[in-house]
Amino acid sequence: MRPLLHIPDGFLAPQVALALWVATAVVIGIALRRIGQRGPAAASQTILMGLSGAFIFAAQMFNFPVAAGTSGHLLGGVLAGFLLGPWAGSVVMATVIGIQALLFQDGGLLALGANIFNMGVIGTLGGTLVARGIAATLGGTRRATLLGVGVAAWLSVMAAAGFTTLQLGLSGTTDISIGLPAMLGTHALIGLGEALISVSAISFIAVSAPEIFAKSAPTAPTSPRRRVAAGLIITAATVSLASLFASTSPDGLEQVATDLGFINTSQAAPFELFADYSVPGFDGVAGTALAGVAGVLVVLLVIVLLNRLASARKGS
Amino acid sequence: MLQRSSQRDARGAIVAALLSILGVALLPAGSYVVYALVWLAVATAGAASGYAPLTLARRGLIALPFTLAALPLIFIGGDELIWSGALGSAQLSISGAGLRIFLTAAVKSWISVQVGTILVRRYPIESIVGSLRALKLPDAIATGAGLTVRYVELLRGEATRMLRARSARSASPVGETRERIGGTISWRAKVTGNLAGALFLRAYARAGRVEEAATARGASGSLSLGSLIQPDARLFIKVALAIGAFVAITAAGALLPRV
Repeated sequence: MRPLLHIPDGFLAPQVALALWVATAVVIGIALRRIGQRGPAAASQTILMGLSGAFIFAAQMFNFPVAAGTSGHLLGGVLAGFLLGPWAGSVVMATVIGIQALLFQDGGLLALGANIFNMGVIGTLGGTLVARGIAATLGGTRRATLLGVGVAAWLSVMAAAGFTTLQLGLSGTTDISIGLPAMLGTHALIGLGEALISVSAISFIAVSAPEIFAKSAPTAPTSPRRRVAAGLIITAATVSLASLFASTSPDGLEQVATDLGFINTSQAAPFELFADYSVPGFDGVAGTALAGVAGVLVVLLVIVLLNRLASARKGS
Repeated sequence: MLQRSSQRDARGAIVAALLSILGVALLPAGSYVVYALVWLAVATAGAASGYAPLTLARRGLIALPFTLAALPLIFIGGDELIWSGALGSAQLSISGAGLRIFLTAAVKSWISVQVGTILVRRYPIESIVGSLRALKLPDAIATGAGLTVRYVELLRGEATRMLRARSARSASPVGETRERIGGTISWRAKVTGNLAGALFLRAYARAGRVEEAATARGASGSLSLGSLIQPDARLFIKVALAIGAFVAITAAGALLPRV
Protein backbone atom coordinates (compact mmCIF):
# COMPACT_ATOMS: atom_id res chain seq x y z
CA MET A 1 0.00 0.00 0.00
CA ARG A 2 1.54 3.30 -1.09
CA PRO A 3 0.19 6.82 -0.51
CA LEU A 4 -1.98 8.25 -3.31
CA LEU A 5 -0.94 11.87 -2.87
CA HIS A 6 0.88 12.81 -6.08
CA ILE A 7 -1.99 14.05 -8.26
CA PRO A 8 -1.29 13.46 -11.97
CA ASP A 9 -2.27 15.97 -14.63
CA GLY A 10 -5.78 15.57 -15.97
CA PHE A 11 -7.41 15.10 -12.56
CA LEU A 12 -7.57 18.73 -11.49
CA ALA A 13 -9.64 21.41 -13.19
CA PRO A 14 -7.26 24.06 -14.61
CA GLN A 15 -8.82 26.74 -12.36
CA VAL A 16 -8.14 24.64 -9.24
CA ALA A 17 -4.60 23.78 -10.40
CA LEU A 18 -3.75 27.41 -11.17
CA ALA A 19 -5.23 28.72 -7.89
CA LEU A 20 -3.07 26.23 -5.97
CA TRP A 21 -0.03 27.24 -8.01
CA VAL A 22 -0.59 30.83 -6.86
CA ALA A 23 -1.12 29.81 -3.21
CA THR A 24 2.01 27.63 -3.30
CA ALA A 25 4.10 30.35 -4.96
CA VAL A 26 3.09 32.82 -2.23
CA VAL A 27 3.97 30.47 0.65
CA ILE A 28 7.22 29.22 -0.90
CA GLY A 29 8.10 32.84 -1.71
CA ILE A 30 7.68 33.72 1.98
CA ALA A 31 9.76 30.67 2.92
CA LEU A 32 12.58 31.70 0.58
CA ARG A 33 12.51 35.22 1.99
CA ARG A 34 12.74 33.89 5.54
CA ILE A 35 15.70 31.71 4.57
CA GLY A 36 17.37 34.61 2.72
CA GLN A 37 17.10 36.79 5.84
CA ARG A 38 19.62 34.54 7.57
CA GLY A 39 22.46 36.36 5.75
CA PRO A 40 25.72 34.43 5.32
CA ALA A 41 24.14 31.38 7.01
CA ALA A 42 21.68 31.15 4.10
CA ALA A 43 24.36 29.71 1.76
CA SER A 44 25.23 26.84 4.10
CA GLN A 45 21.51 26.36 4.74
CA THR A 46 20.99 26.03 0.96
CA ILE A 47 23.69 23.33 0.76
CA LEU A 48 22.11 21.46 3.67
CA MET A 49 18.70 21.79 1.98
CA GLY A 50 20.09 20.32 -1.25
CA LEU A 51 21.61 17.34 0.54
CA SER A 52 18.43 16.94 2.60
CA GLY A 53 16.45 16.72 -0.64
CA ALA A 54 18.69 13.84 -1.72
CA PHE A 55 18.22 12.34 1.76
CA ILE A 56 14.41 12.48 1.46
CA PHE A 57 14.62 10.78 -1.94
CA ALA A 58 16.81 8.02 -0.52
CA ALA A 59 14.87 7.69 2.75
CA GLN A 60 11.67 7.08 0.78
CA MET A 61 13.25 3.74 -0.18
CA PHE A 62 13.01 2.66 3.46
CA ASN A 63 9.95 0.61 4.22
CA PHE A 64 8.97 -1.99 6.73
CA PRO A 65 6.54 -4.87 6.33
CA VAL A 66 3.29 -4.37 8.26
CA ALA A 67 1.16 -7.23 6.97
CA ALA A 68 0.80 -9.26 3.80
CA GLY A 69 1.10 -6.87 0.85
CA THR A 70 1.23 -3.79 3.06
CA SER A 71 4.29 -1.85 4.11
CA GLY A 72 4.99 1.34 6.01
CA HIS A 73 6.78 4.11 4.06
CA LEU A 74 8.35 7.43 4.84
CA LEU A 75 7.17 10.59 3.10
CA GLY A 76 9.50 12.69 5.23
CA GLY A 77 7.75 16.07 5.34
CA VAL A 78 7.60 16.50 9.11
CA LEU A 79 11.03 14.87 9.50
CA ALA A 80 12.60 17.40 7.10
CA GLY A 81 10.63 20.28 8.59
CA PHE A 82 11.58 19.39 12.15
CA LEU A 83 15.30 18.94 11.39
CA LEU A 84 15.75 21.94 9.07
CA GLY A 85 13.02 24.25 10.30
CA PRO A 86 9.48 24.61 8.88
CA TRP A 87 10.36 27.09 6.11
CA ALA A 88 13.48 25.30 4.89
CA GLY A 89 11.68 21.95 5.20
CA SER A 90 8.83 23.13 3.00
CA VAL A 91 11.29 24.36 0.35
CA VAL A 92 13.12 21.01 0.45
CA MET A 93 9.84 19.12 0.01
CA ALA A 94 8.83 21.48 -2.83
CA THR A 95 12.13 20.68 -4.55
CA VAL A 96 11.75 16.93 -4.00
CA ILE A 97 8.14 16.91 -5.24
CA GLY A 98 9.18 18.97 -8.27
CA ILE A 99 12.02 16.59 -9.16
CA GLN A 100 9.70 13.59 -8.64
CA ALA A 101 7.25 15.14 -11.12
CA LEU A 102 9.95 15.98 -13.66
CA LEU A 103 12.16 12.94 -13.38
CA PHE A 104 9.72 10.14 -12.57
CA GLN A 105 6.38 11.64 -13.68
CA ASP A 106 5.22 10.97 -10.12
CA GLY A 107 2.60 13.71 -10.07
CA GLY A 108 1.74 16.14 -12.85
CA LEU A 109 3.40 19.39 -13.91
CA LEU A 110 0.18 21.40 -13.98
CA ALA A 111 -0.80 19.70 -10.72
CA LEU A 112 2.63 20.42 -9.21
CA GLY A 113 1.34 23.48 -7.37
CA ALA A 114 -1.38 21.38 -5.75
CA ASN A 115 1.02 18.57 -4.84
CA ILE A 116 3.50 21.00 -3.26
CA PHE A 117 0.62 22.71 -1.45
CA ASN A 118 -0.69 19.44 -0.02
CA MET A 119 2.58 17.80 0.96
CA GLY A 120 5.05 20.70 1.18
CA VAL A 121 2.91 23.49 2.60
CA ILE A 122 0.15 21.73 4.56
CA GLY A 123 2.09 18.53 5.29
CA THR A 124 5.54 19.94 6.01
CA LEU A 125 5.09 23.56 7.06
CA GLY A 126 1.80 22.94 8.86
CA GLY A 127 2.95 19.60 10.24
CA THR A 128 6.17 21.02 11.66
CA LEU A 129 4.36 23.92 13.30
CA VAL A 130 1.96 21.43 14.88
CA ALA A 131 4.91 19.28 16.07
CA ARG A 132 6.63 22.28 17.62
CA GLY A 133 3.35 23.55 19.05
CA ILE A 134 2.64 20.25 20.79
CA ALA A 135 6.23 19.95 22.03
CA ALA A 136 6.24 23.49 23.41
CA THR A 137 2.78 23.10 24.94
CA LEU A 138 3.84 19.94 26.78
CA GLY A 139 6.95 21.56 28.22
CA GLY A 140 9.59 21.04 25.52
CA THR A 141 10.97 17.79 26.94
CA ARG A 142 12.39 15.11 24.65
CA ARG A 143 9.33 12.93 25.22
CA ALA A 144 7.02 15.87 24.40
CA THR A 145 9.02 16.55 21.25
CA LEU A 146 8.77 12.95 20.10
CA LEU A 147 5.04 12.92 20.84
CA GLY A 148 4.63 16.14 18.87
CA VAL A 149 6.56 14.72 15.90
CA GLY A 150 4.51 11.53 15.95
CA VAL A 151 1.13 13.27 16.09
CA ALA A 152 2.18 15.84 13.48
CA ALA A 153 3.55 13.19 11.11
CA TRP A 154 0.25 11.30 11.25
CA LEU A 155 -1.78 14.49 10.87
CA SER A 156 0.38 15.66 7.95
CA VAL A 157 -0.43 12.53 5.95
CA MET A 158 -4.13 12.75 6.85
CA ALA A 159 -4.32 16.45 6.01
CA ALA A 160 -2.53 15.93 2.68
CA ALA A 161 -4.95 13.09 1.84
CA GLY A 162 -7.92 15.23 2.88
CA PHE A 163 -6.82 18.22 0.83
CA THR A 164 -6.07 16.01 -2.19
CA THR A 165 -9.60 14.62 -2.08
CA LEU A 166 -11.16 18.05 -1.60
CA GLN A 167 -9.28 19.37 -4.63
CA LEU A 168 -10.36 16.38 -6.72
CA GLY A 169 -13.92 16.95 -5.52
CA LEU A 170 -13.75 20.63 -6.46
CA SER A 171 -12.51 19.57 -9.90
CA GLY A 172 -15.42 17.13 -10.30
CA THR A 173 -13.20 14.04 -10.59
CA THR A 174 -14.27 12.39 -7.37
CA ASP A 175 -17.26 12.25 -5.08
CA ILE A 176 -16.13 13.75 -1.79
CA SER A 177 -18.65 11.81 0.29
CA ILE A 178 -17.16 8.52 -0.94
CA GLY A 179 -13.60 9.60 -1.69
CA LEU A 180 -12.87 11.35 1.60
CA PRO A 181 -13.59 8.46 3.98
CA ALA A 182 -11.83 6.05 1.60
CA MET A 183 -8.72 8.22 1.30
CA LEU A 184 -8.58 9.07 5.00
CA GLY A 185 -9.20 5.46 5.99
CA THR A 186 -6.31 4.23 3.83
CA HIS A 187 -3.97 7.04 4.79
CA ALA A 188 -4.70 6.63 8.50
CA LEU A 189 -2.60 3.44 8.29
CA ILE A 190 0.04 5.01 6.06
CA GLY A 191 0.22 7.94 8.49
CA LEU A 192 0.86 5.51 11.32
CA GLY A 193 3.91 4.19 9.46
CA GLU A 194 5.05 7.76 8.82
CA ALA A 195 4.64 8.64 12.50
CA LEU A 196 6.52 5.56 13.74
CA ILE A 197 9.44 6.07 11.34
CA SER A 198 9.65 9.84 11.99
CA VAL A 199 9.63 9.38 15.78
CA SER A 200 12.28 6.64 15.60
CA ALA A 201 14.48 8.74 13.29
CA ILE A 202 14.29 11.81 15.56
CA SER A 203 14.85 9.62 18.61
CA PHE A 204 17.97 8.15 16.96
CA ILE A 205 19.29 11.62 16.09
CA ALA A 206 18.58 12.86 19.63
CA VAL A 207 20.83 10.12 20.99
CA SER A 208 23.50 10.04 18.27
CA ALA A 209 23.80 13.75 17.52
CA PRO A 210 22.29 15.70 20.44
CA GLU A 211 23.66 18.99 19.05
CA ILE A 212 21.52 18.64 15.89
CA PHE A 213 18.50 17.65 17.96
CA ALA A 214 19.03 20.59 20.31
CA LYS A 215 19.06 22.98 17.33
CA SER A 216 15.77 21.56 16.05
CA ALA A 217 13.81 21.11 19.26
CA PRO A 218 11.87 24.02 20.81
CA THR A 219 13.94 25.39 23.68
CA ALA A 220 11.52 27.19 25.98
CA PRO A 221 7.91 26.47 26.84
CA THR A 222 5.52 28.96 25.27
CA SER A 223 3.24 31.40 27.10
CA PRO A 224 -0.08 30.10 28.48
CA ARG A 225 -2.00 32.06 25.82
CA ARG A 226 0.01 30.44 23.05
CA ARG A 227 -0.47 27.04 24.63
CA VAL A 228 -4.24 27.54 24.67
CA ALA A 229 -4.20 28.78 21.06
CA ALA A 230 -2.06 25.81 19.94
CA GLY A 231 -4.27 23.40 21.87
CA LEU A 232 -7.38 24.93 20.31
CA ILE A 233 -6.05 24.67 16.78
CA ILE A 234 -4.94 21.06 17.25
CA THR A 235 -8.24 20.12 18.91
CA ALA A 236 -10.25 21.82 16.16
CA ALA A 237 -8.22 19.99 13.48
CA THR A 238 -8.66 16.66 15.26
CA VAL A 239 -12.39 17.21 15.79
CA SER A 240 -12.84 18.20 12.12
CA LEU A 241 -10.99 15.09 10.93
CA ALA A 242 -12.79 12.82 13.39
CA SER A 243 -16.17 14.20 12.30
CA LEU A 244 -15.54 12.76 8.84
CA PHE A 245 -15.79 9.30 10.37
CA ALA A 246 -18.94 10.10 12.37
CA SER A 247 -21.57 7.40 11.97
CA THR A 248 -25.05 8.36 10.82
CA SER A 249 -26.53 5.26 12.46
CA PRO A 250 -28.57 5.68 15.67
CA ASP A 251 -26.72 5.32 18.99
CA GLY A 252 -27.31 2.36 21.31
CA LEU A 253 -30.25 3.90 23.24
CA GLU A 254 -31.99 5.09 20.05
CA GLN A 255 -31.59 1.65 18.50
CA VAL A 256 -33.06 -0.08 21.56
CA ALA A 257 -35.89 2.47 21.68
CA THR A 258 -36.64 1.82 18.03
CA ASP A 259 -36.48 -1.97 18.45
CA LEU A 260 -38.76 -1.94 21.52
CA GLY A 261 -41.12 0.61 19.95
CA PHE A 262 -40.92 3.50 22.44
CA ILE A 263 -38.87 5.90 20.31
CA ASN A 264 -42.02 7.95 19.54
CA THR A 265 -42.64 8.63 23.23
CA SER A 266 -39.55 10.86 23.36
CA GLN A 267 -40.14 14.59 23.69
CA ALA A 268 -38.44 17.28 21.68
CA ALA A 269 -35.89 19.46 23.50
CA PRO A 270 -37.19 22.91 24.55
CA PHE A 271 -34.56 24.52 22.32
CA GLU A 272 -32.11 23.17 19.75
CA LEU A 273 -28.79 24.79 18.91
CA PHE A 274 -26.99 22.11 16.92
CA ALA A 275 -29.66 19.43 16.52
CA ASP A 276 -28.16 16.04 15.56
CA TYR A 277 -24.67 17.59 15.43
CA SER A 278 -25.50 19.85 12.49
CA VAL A 279 -25.30 23.58 11.88
CA PRO A 280 -28.19 25.30 10.06
CA GLY A 281 -27.16 26.10 6.49
CA PHE A 282 -24.38 23.49 6.37
CA ASP A 283 -25.14 19.99 5.15
CA GLY A 284 -23.35 16.72 5.81
CA VAL A 285 -19.70 16.56 6.85
CA ALA A 286 -19.16 20.34 6.94
CA GLY A 287 -22.07 20.78 9.35
CA THR A 288 -20.81 17.97 11.62
CA ALA A 289 -17.29 19.41 11.64
CA LEU A 290 -18.57 22.91 12.44
CA ALA A 291 -20.80 21.55 15.20
CA GLY A 292 -17.78 19.72 16.65
CA VAL A 293 -15.64 22.88 16.59
CA ALA A 294 -18.50 24.87 18.15
CA GLY A 295 -18.76 22.22 20.89
CA VAL A 296 -15.04 22.57 21.62
CA LEU A 297 -15.40 26.35 21.88
CA VAL A 298 -18.38 26.07 24.22
CA VAL A 299 -16.50 23.63 26.49
CA LEU A 300 -13.51 25.99 26.53
CA LEU A 301 -15.74 28.95 27.37
CA VAL A 302 -17.34 27.05 30.26
CA ILE A 303 -13.91 26.06 31.61
CA VAL A 304 -12.61 29.64 31.36
CA LEU A 305 -15.72 31.01 33.15
CA LEU A 306 -15.52 28.40 35.91
CA ASN A 307 -11.80 29.13 36.31
CA ARG A 308 -12.49 32.85 36.68
CA LEU A 309 -15.24 32.14 39.19
CA ALA A 310 -12.89 29.93 41.19
CA SER A 311 -10.15 32.60 41.09
CA ALA A 312 -12.59 35.29 42.21
CA ARG A 313 -13.79 33.14 45.12
CA LYS A 314 -10.22 32.33 46.11
CA GLY A 315 -9.31 36.06 46.04
CA SER A 316 -12.25 37.07 48.20
CA MET B 1 32.11 28.20 -8.39
CA LEU B 2 30.84 24.75 -9.22
CA GLN B 3 29.67 24.22 -12.78
CA ARG B 4 28.69 21.30 -14.99
CA SER B 5 29.33 21.19 -18.69
CA SER B 6 27.06 19.80 -21.45
CA GLN B 7 23.98 21.66 -20.20
CA ARG B 8 21.53 22.27 -23.01
CA ASP B 9 18.82 24.87 -23.08
CA ALA B 10 15.52 23.14 -22.31
CA ARG B 11 13.47 26.33 -21.90
CA GLY B 12 11.61 25.90 -25.19
CA ALA B 13 10.84 22.26 -24.38
CA ILE B 14 9.65 23.13 -20.85
CA VAL B 15 7.32 25.83 -22.17
CA ALA B 16 6.05 23.45 -24.88
CA ALA B 17 5.46 20.65 -22.35
CA LEU B 18 3.61 22.93 -19.92
CA LEU B 19 1.44 24.47 -22.66
CA SER B 20 0.63 21.04 -24.10
CA ILE B 21 -0.39 19.73 -20.67
CA LEU B 22 -2.44 22.88 -20.03
CA GLY B 23 -4.09 22.51 -23.45
CA VAL B 24 -4.98 18.88 -22.71
CA ALA B 25 -6.29 19.84 -19.26
CA LEU B 26 -8.55 22.49 -20.81
CA LEU B 27 -10.12 20.05 -23.28
CA PRO B 28 -13.81 19.39 -22.59
CA ALA B 29 -14.90 15.99 -21.22
CA GLY B 30 -15.62 13.39 -23.91
CA SER B 31 -13.46 14.99 -26.65
CA TYR B 32 -12.14 11.57 -27.64
CA VAL B 33 -11.31 12.56 -31.22
CA VAL B 34 -9.09 15.40 -29.99
CA TYR B 35 -7.49 13.15 -27.37
CA ALA B 36 -6.59 10.70 -30.16
CA LEU B 37 -5.15 13.49 -32.32
CA VAL B 38 -3.13 14.93 -29.45
CA TRP B 39 -1.80 11.49 -28.56
CA LEU B 40 -0.78 11.00 -32.22
CA ALA B 41 1.17 14.26 -32.06
CA VAL B 42 2.75 13.26 -28.74
CA ALA B 43 3.66 9.80 -30.07
CA THR B 44 5.26 11.45 -33.12
CA ALA B 45 7.30 13.73 -30.86
CA GLY B 46 8.22 10.67 -28.79
CA ALA B 47 9.32 8.75 -31.89
CA ALA B 48 11.49 11.73 -32.88
CA SER B 49 13.11 11.47 -29.42
CA GLY B 50 13.75 7.75 -29.84
CA TYR B 51 10.71 6.49 -27.89
CA ALA B 52 8.68 3.72 -29.56
CA PRO B 53 4.95 4.62 -29.36
CA LEU B 54 4.02 1.48 -27.44
CA THR B 55 6.84 1.94 -24.94
CA LEU B 56 5.77 5.54 -24.47
CA ALA B 57 2.13 4.47 -24.08
CA ARG B 58 3.13 1.90 -21.46
CA ARG B 59 5.18 4.50 -19.62
CA GLY B 60 2.07 6.69 -19.53
CA LEU B 61 0.29 4.11 -17.44
CA ILE B 62 2.26 4.95 -14.28
CA ALA B 63 -0.52 7.33 -13.23
CA LEU B 64 -3.04 4.50 -13.49
CA PRO B 65 -3.32 3.78 -9.72
CA PHE B 66 -4.54 7.31 -9.18
CA THR B 67 -7.60 6.67 -11.38
CA LEU B 68 -8.97 4.78 -8.35
CA ALA B 69 -9.86 8.19 -6.94
CA ALA B 70 -12.23 8.83 -9.86
CA LEU B 71 -13.62 5.28 -10.02
CA PRO B 72 -16.66 5.87 -7.74
CA LEU B 73 -18.01 8.43 -10.22
CA ILE B 74 -18.82 5.61 -12.66
CA PHE B 75 -21.29 4.14 -10.17
CA ILE B 76 -22.76 7.23 -8.59
CA GLY B 77 -22.79 9.72 -11.45
CA GLY B 78 -26.57 9.46 -11.57
CA ASP B 79 -27.10 10.89 -15.06
CA GLU B 80 -27.39 8.89 -18.31
CA LEU B 81 -27.85 5.42 -16.82
CA ILE B 82 -26.24 2.91 -19.22
CA TRP B 83 -26.35 -0.28 -17.14
CA SER B 84 -28.02 -1.42 -13.97
CA GLY B 85 -27.94 -4.82 -12.33
CA ALA B 86 -26.89 -6.94 -9.41
CA LEU B 87 -23.31 -7.92 -8.69
CA GLY B 88 -23.57 -10.54 -5.97
CA SER B 89 -25.64 -8.97 -3.22
CA ALA B 90 -24.88 -5.39 -4.35
CA GLN B 91 -27.08 -3.38 -6.69
CA LEU B 92 -24.93 -1.46 -9.16
CA SER B 93 -25.63 1.04 -11.89
CA ILE B 94 -23.21 2.59 -14.35
CA SER B 95 -23.66 6.23 -15.22
CA GLY B 96 -22.70 7.49 -18.68
CA ALA B 97 -21.80 10.92 -17.30
CA GLY B 98 -19.64 9.37 -14.55
CA LEU B 99 -17.93 7.06 -17.04
CA ARG B 100 -17.17 10.03 -19.29
CA ILE B 101 -15.54 11.99 -16.45
CA PHE B 102 -13.54 8.93 -15.39
CA LEU B 103 -12.29 8.18 -18.91
CA THR B 104 -11.51 11.86 -19.54
CA ALA B 105 -9.37 12.14 -16.38
CA ALA B 106 -7.61 8.83 -17.11
CA VAL B 107 -6.81 9.72 -20.75
CA LYS B 108 -5.70 13.26 -19.90
CA SER B 109 -3.30 12.01 -17.23
CA TRP B 110 -2.05 9.25 -19.57
CA ILE B 111 -1.21 11.79 -22.32
CA SER B 112 0.31 14.30 -19.85
CA VAL B 113 2.64 11.69 -18.34
CA GLN B 114 3.90 10.89 -21.84
CA VAL B 115 4.60 14.58 -22.50
CA GLY B 116 6.69 14.74 -19.30
CA THR B 117 8.46 11.51 -20.24
CA ILE B 118 9.55 12.93 -23.60
CA LEU B 119 10.84 16.10 -21.92
CA VAL B 120 13.09 14.08 -19.57
CA ARG B 121 14.14 11.78 -22.41
CA ARG B 122 15.34 14.71 -24.51
CA TYR B 123 17.05 16.69 -21.76
CA PRO B 124 19.05 15.53 -18.74
CA ILE B 125 17.66 16.71 -15.41
CA GLU B 126 20.66 19.05 -14.92
CA SER B 127 19.69 20.87 -18.14
CA ILE B 128 16.09 21.14 -16.98
CA VAL B 129 17.14 22.56 -13.59
CA GLY B 130 19.52 25.00 -15.33
CA SER B 131 16.79 26.05 -17.74
CA LEU B 132 14.34 26.54 -14.87
CA ARG B 133 16.93 28.78 -13.19
CA ALA B 134 17.12 30.74 -16.46
CA LEU B 135 13.30 30.96 -16.34
CA LYS B 136 13.72 32.79 -12.98
CA LEU B 137 13.43 29.82 -10.63
CA PRO B 138 14.70 31.23 -7.28
CA ASP B 139 18.38 30.66 -6.58
CA ALA B 140 17.85 28.67 -3.35
CA ILE B 141 15.55 26.20 -5.12
CA ALA B 142 17.75 25.92 -8.24
CA THR B 143 20.90 25.33 -6.17
CA GLY B 144 19.05 22.95 -3.85
CA ALA B 145 17.62 21.02 -6.80
CA GLY B 146 21.06 20.88 -8.45
CA LEU B 147 22.61 19.46 -5.26
CA THR B 148 19.70 17.04 -4.78
CA VAL B 149 20.09 15.70 -8.31
CA ARG B 150 23.87 15.46 -7.93
CA TYR B 151 23.83 13.60 -4.62
CA VAL B 152 20.66 11.54 -4.89
CA GLU B 153 22.40 8.49 -6.39
CA LEU B 154 25.11 8.62 -3.74
CA LEU B 155 22.59 8.65 -0.89
CA ARG B 156 20.43 6.03 -2.58
CA GLY B 157 23.54 3.85 -2.70
CA GLU B 158 24.02 4.40 1.03
CA ALA B 159 20.35 3.57 1.64
CA THR B 160 20.61 0.41 -0.46
CA ARG B 161 23.63 -0.77 1.56
CA MET B 162 21.77 -0.06 4.80
CA LEU B 163 18.75 -2.05 3.61
CA ARG B 164 21.01 -4.92 2.57
CA ALA B 165 22.61 -4.92 6.01
CA ARG B 166 19.17 -4.88 7.64
CA SER B 167 18.06 -7.87 5.56
CA ALA B 168 21.26 -9.74 6.39
CA ARG B 169 20.87 -9.13 10.13
CA SER B 170 17.19 -9.94 10.51
CA ALA B 171 16.93 -13.12 8.46
CA SER B 172 13.53 -14.80 8.44
CA PRO B 173 13.27 -18.27 9.97
CA VAL B 174 12.82 -21.15 7.51
CA GLY B 175 9.23 -21.42 6.36
CA GLU B 176 8.27 -17.91 7.42
CA THR B 177 7.18 -15.35 4.87
CA ARG B 178 9.06 -12.11 4.31
CA GLU B 179 6.28 -10.17 6.02
CA ARG B 180 7.21 -11.72 9.33
CA ILE B 181 10.86 -10.68 9.31
CA GLY B 182 12.18 -9.37 12.58
CA GLY B 183 9.76 -9.02 15.47
CA THR B 184 6.81 -6.74 16.06
CA ILE B 185 5.60 -3.92 13.84
CA SER B 186 6.87 -1.30 16.28
CA TRP B 187 10.28 -2.99 16.33
CA ARG B 188 10.41 -2.95 12.52
CA ALA B 189 9.32 0.68 12.46
CA LYS B 190 12.00 1.55 15.01
CA VAL B 191 14.72 -0.13 12.97
CA THR B 192 13.53 1.64 9.82
CA GLY B 193 13.43 4.97 11.65
CA ASN B 194 16.96 4.38 12.94
CA LEU B 195 18.11 3.79 9.36
CA ALA B 196 16.46 7.06 8.28
CA GLY B 197 18.09 8.89 11.20
CA ALA B 198 21.51 7.44 10.38
CA LEU B 199 21.11 8.40 6.72
CA PHE B 200 20.20 11.97 7.69
CA LEU B 201 23.36 12.23 9.80
CA ARG B 202 25.43 11.08 6.81
CA ALA B 203 23.71 13.66 4.57
CA TYR B 204 24.31 16.32 7.24
CA ALA B 205 28.01 15.45 7.48
CA ARG B 206 28.35 15.50 3.69
CA ALA B 207 26.66 18.91 3.52
CA GLY B 208 29.36 20.17 5.86
CA ARG B 209 32.09 18.75 3.61
CA VAL B 210 30.47 20.23 0.47
CA GLU B 211 30.37 23.63 2.14
CA GLU B 212 34.03 23.38 3.19
CA ALA B 213 35.05 22.36 -0.34
CA ALA B 214 33.04 25.21 -1.89
CA THR B 215 34.56 27.71 0.54
CA ALA B 216 38.06 26.36 -0.20
CA ARG B 217 37.46 26.98 -3.91
CA GLY B 218 36.48 30.57 -3.29
CA ALA B 219 32.72 30.24 -3.45
CA SER B 220 30.82 32.82 -1.45
CA GLY B 221 27.07 33.19 -1.24
CA SER B 222 25.28 31.32 -4.02
CA LEU B 223 26.65 28.24 -5.76
CA SER B 224 26.02 28.33 -9.49
CA LEU B 225 24.86 24.73 -9.58
CA GLY B 226 22.22 24.18 -12.18
CA SER B 227 23.29 27.10 -14.37
CA LEU B 228 22.40 27.26 -18.02
CA ILE B 229 25.51 27.66 -20.17
CA GLN B 230 24.35 27.00 -23.75
CA PRO B 231 21.40 29.28 -24.58
CA ASP B 232 19.28 28.05 -27.49
CA ALA B 233 19.42 30.41 -30.48
CA ARG B 234 16.01 29.18 -31.71
CA LEU B 235 14.24 29.71 -28.39
CA PHE B 236 11.69 32.23 -29.68
CA ILE B 237 10.74 30.01 -32.63
CA LYS B 238 10.22 27.05 -30.27
CA VAL B 239 8.10 29.09 -27.86
CA ALA B 240 6.02 30.43 -30.79
CA LEU B 241 5.47 26.85 -32.02
CA ALA B 242 4.47 25.79 -28.50
CA ILE B 243 1.91 28.61 -28.31
CA GLY B 244 0.64 27.57 -31.76
CA ALA B 245 0.22 23.98 -30.56
CA PHE B 246 -1.65 25.18 -27.46
CA VAL B 247 -4.04 27.27 -29.59
CA ALA B 248 -4.55 24.33 -31.99
CA ILE B 249 -5.40 21.92 -29.13
CA THR B 250 -7.82 24.41 -27.57
CA ALA B 251 -9.48 25.17 -30.92
CA ALA B 252 -9.80 21.47 -31.76
CA GLY B 253 -11.43 20.90 -28.37
CA ALA B 254 -13.99 23.61 -29.11
CA LEU B 255 -14.70 22.61 -32.71
CA LEU B 256 -14.46 18.82 -32.99
CA PRO B 257 -17.37 16.61 -31.87
CA ARG B 258 -17.67 15.14 -28.36
CA VAL B 259 -19.29 11.92 -27.21
